[in-house]
Amino acid sequence: MATTKRKMTREELILQVIIFSLGFFFAFVYYVRVSEPIDLQAVSQQLFAYLTAMLTAAFAIGMINLTRVHWINIKRKRATWKFSVILIASLYGMAIVSLISSPFALDPQAAVIPQGVINLFNPIFDFLYYKVLVTINSSIFSLLAFFIASAAYRAFKARSLESTILLLAGLLVVIGQAPVADVAWPGFATIRDWILAYPNTAGQRGILIGAALGILAFSVRRMIRYPWGR
Amino acid sequence: MNKYKVASDPRMIYVLLALVVTVPILTHSVLPVPISDTTRAVFDYIDKLPANSLVVLSFDYSTSVVPELHPQAIVVTQHVFLRPLKVLFVAQYTDGPALADAVLDAINKGNKTYGVDYATLGYIPNSATVIGMTTNLQQYFPVDTRGTSTNDLPIIREFPAEKMTSLLVSFSAGDPGLLTYLQYWETPYGIPTAAGSPATLAPGYEPFYNSHQIVGILISMRAAAEYELLLTAEYHTPIGLSGATSAMVAQSSSQMLIVAMVIVGNVAYFVGTRRTKGAPK
Repeated sequence: MATTKRKMTREELILQVIIFSLGFFFAFVYYVRVSEPIDLQAVSQQLFAYLTAMLTAAFAIGMINLTRVHWINIKRKRATWKFSVILIASLYGMAIVSLISSPFALDPQAAVIPQGVINLFNPIFDFLYYKVLVTINSSIFSLLAFFIASAAYRAFKARSLESTILLLAGLLVVIGQAPVADVAWPGFATIRDWILAYPNTAGQRGILIGAALGILAFSVRRMIRYPWGR
Repeated sequence: MNKYKVASDPRMIYVLLALVVTVPILTHSVLPVPISDTTRAVFDYIDKLPANSLVVLSFDYSTSVVPELHPQAIVVTQHVFLRPLKVLFVAQYTDGPALADAVLDAINKGNKTYGVDYATLGYIPNSATVIGMTTNLQQYFPVDTRGTSTNDLPIIREFPAEKMTSLLVSFSAGDPGLLTYLQYWETPYGIPTAAGSPATLAPGYEPFYNSHQIVGILISMRAAAEYELLLTAEYHTPIGLSGATSAMVAQSSSQMLIVAMVIVGNVAYFVGTRRTKGAPK
């Protein structure tokens, strides 16, 4: 089906020129060092500093948006409003504790916030972070082992030649990675290392190069014409 | 429910897995762990660094990957602190700075002084900062995590951005992580880089090890156990520093259970297929 290209508006054209100029500039300074008459590397560093500020502002917008959505949930007593209360309480509770006592503290040298308050918040942060967050996240991640064990039984079948090769390679790597198998017969580790070093590396390199070329093509396309209005 | 359906009930598998994980942990079983080449490469590289070299440890993982990467971070940090090296702690994940503090609490810091021998710079919010750090560290990190101006830290004065890092170790749970450093530190400046990786990501990092872009890879909790054994052999540190050595039996038995499940599943599949084919139509 033939697609008709819409003409860019004046604003879109200006934005397109900015996108192209910045894209070209950063690609250029990555490969070419220019110090005279203008230090282009210094200019790019300055622009990166602005980028950091912009990304931080975007983070703040995300937090405002999240608050807005869940505040409306609570106000209108929607079906999941209780979860929204927990989310907002956790979000702001942890943020306040972290801003007073954590590696992200606003005033770690107690210039404005009294030292007594910081000392009071220290154990609260330690408890919430190390005892609650780390424990919950690690537990959820560890649950994967149960699903993998169950899936190994039900889904990992030698249905075709390709799946049989994949199955054998996977099994040999898992066996080689287990210290007990390595102790029983060092050959398992040699087989694991061979699979990782040769067939795996060949496949991974193909994927990496393919993905890199894809990103390059995508970026050039965006630099030349962004799909405005879609 | 027939006996085959009972055997394939996921709950049976969950109970079995829970047993093979908890019993070795509760009985404190230990297992000799052969040292992998990828782990030894990292250990040897750190062990041979000249005195007063700068090592950057980047905590690029969140709390969910703590079981795999935190033990690695503990043993590598302990190794670096046992040697006359300078260390900077950074993190590309928001969880990183707090996890770096936890590592510093877990190790024996010896006579190292904060600000002189090591410093915690905190969170790297984006790749722009990773790039910027190589030319003007103080601009991107005006203060450390303790609120001290980086201009006042002797370690930063001794190692301005132009003076290159001797080794970067990224404990990497994905993106941003190792690949960001490979792109912006290792490739343009040739900064030696090592990786700490969960088992699932290690195959993706293998090409960089084979092309010598990274000096070594620490793969999952097993690498932490191997590293701990190397540390004990070389520096007589007590076993149990990271908790990884005591988890090796549980890890081995769970991996063996998964292998057994795959074999049993396939045998059941072939028996089932043969029966279906042999059944009268």
